[in-house]
Amino acid sequence: MRRSITFLFAFSFLLLSVLVVPKATFAYPFWAQQNYENPREATGKIVCANCHLANMKTQAEVPQSVGADSVFKAVVKIPYKSGLQEIGADGSDVPLQVGALVMLPDGFKLAPQDRWTDSIKEETQGVYFTQYSEEQENIIIVGPLPGDQNKEIVFPILSPDPHKDSNIHFGKYSIHVGGNRGRGQVYPTGEKSNNNIFISPAEGIISDIKAGENGARIINIKSKNNEEINTETIPAGPNLIVSIGDSVASGDRLTDDPNVGGFGQLDTEVVLQDPLRVLGLLTFFAGVTLAQIMLVLKKKQVEKVQAAEGI
Amino acid sequence: MSVLKKPDLTDPKLRAKLAKGMGHNYYGEPAWPNDLLYIFPVVILGTIACVVGLAVLDPAMLGDKANPFATPLEILPEWYLYPVFQILRVVPNKLLGIAIQTMIPLGLMLIPFIEGFNKFQNPFRRPVAMAFFLFGTVLTVYLGIGACLPIDKSLTLGLF
Repeated sequence: MRRSITFLFAFSFLLLSVLVVPKATFAYPFWAQQNYENPREATGKIVCANCHLANMKTQAEVPQSVGADSVFKAVVKIPYKSGLQEIGADGSDVPLQVGALVMLPDGFKLAPQDRWTDSIKEETQGVYFTQYSEEQENIIIVGPLPGDQNKEIVFPILSPDPHKDSNIHFGKYSIHVGGNRGRGQVYPTGEKSNNNIFISPAEGIISDIKAGENGARIINIKSKNNEEINTETIPAGPNLIVSIGDSVASGDRLTDDPNVGGFGQLDTEVVLQDPLRVLGLLTFFAGVTLAQIMLVLKKKQVEKVQAAEGI
Repeated sequence: MSVLKKPDLTDPKLRAKLAKGMGHNYYGEPAWPNDLLYIFPVVILGTIACVVGLAVLDPAMLGDKANPFATPLEILPEWYLYPVFQILRVVPNKLLGIAIQTMIPLGLMLIPFIEGFNKFQNPFRRPVAMAFFLFGTVLTVYLGIGACLPIDKSLTLGLF
């Protein structure tokens, strides 16, 4: 009886905490989907970089070449120090989350589940893939996922068959990959997130620091001559590096930089290869090797004649 | 061992040529047909096989469509322009950039005159020209690698 009460209590507490302090588990790539028809700008920048301003390394591994209508793995690596924590939207420490975007060439898409091999099933456990939009099957996004378990994200990809679709041709194509860890600095609406450095809006002396709502701090900056007061509200999260009485110039930092994450993108390439071409190439190589051997043998024969004739 | 023709040292014409440092093609392995007819095709076929192999296994890719209104994030010229591009990229002002670009052909023009008085062909006996050449080569490769790295790492190559 007592046990069940404890259990009930614990359960309701958990439920309450989930309801009251919702973790931002859904959907940062979703913001990109909402705001951009194509996640890659004409300059080659992947739009994640518009909100995740810090630049960090992302790596990708794809096979050099793949056959038509075959399933292969593209691995996106988003390295960071394990156990690293960042500030959440409410200012508390939370573990990092990761997300990734893979832009495949036309015709390539996420492999259907029935064609996944056992190793793919194992490696993609807990990862949910979505295509960027209804008509863009070749752009796959993932995330946000708990970062510590998902520093390597495996994308199972199905290559198209040029024999079935006349728009697809064998050849080399580029793949654009973006990987992000941690929260962004800007919301799609243009507002700063609290995972940011805050700077002074004007020159002056810090006259007052008041506590605001939800752990925010309101800093009053009094200008030196005309007694004008500028205020800057700093949400919970970043630590203040100024105190009352400090004089600051416009653009001076008021807080440290809480951001530990960042976004990285890279371009890689894959060859859609026709086995017949490889077979033809091998035949050609065999012919070339044979021709070279015959030429050397012929030369040896001629040398014998030359030696006999005394050149 | 291949067939080797010995030099006919009784031939005054050959002796005169040898005295001038010429005539080395009058002895040794005959060019025709041993080299030209039999070994050249071996090399030519090998080269063609390499090119065809690359064309099939690693074909050239079409990049993004050119768009004059969108500068790519990372701009790079053709590979043979990497070193000069790196100079232009790190030099702080445009005039200095133009001045250094002008120095490149001027420096190349100096080559025949550096140690031009030296009568030896052997590179080991032309220390000044050799030092200039090696320095130029190393500098070019260093600048070329630097052009491929982000600008903050390009001078140290990210090593320090």
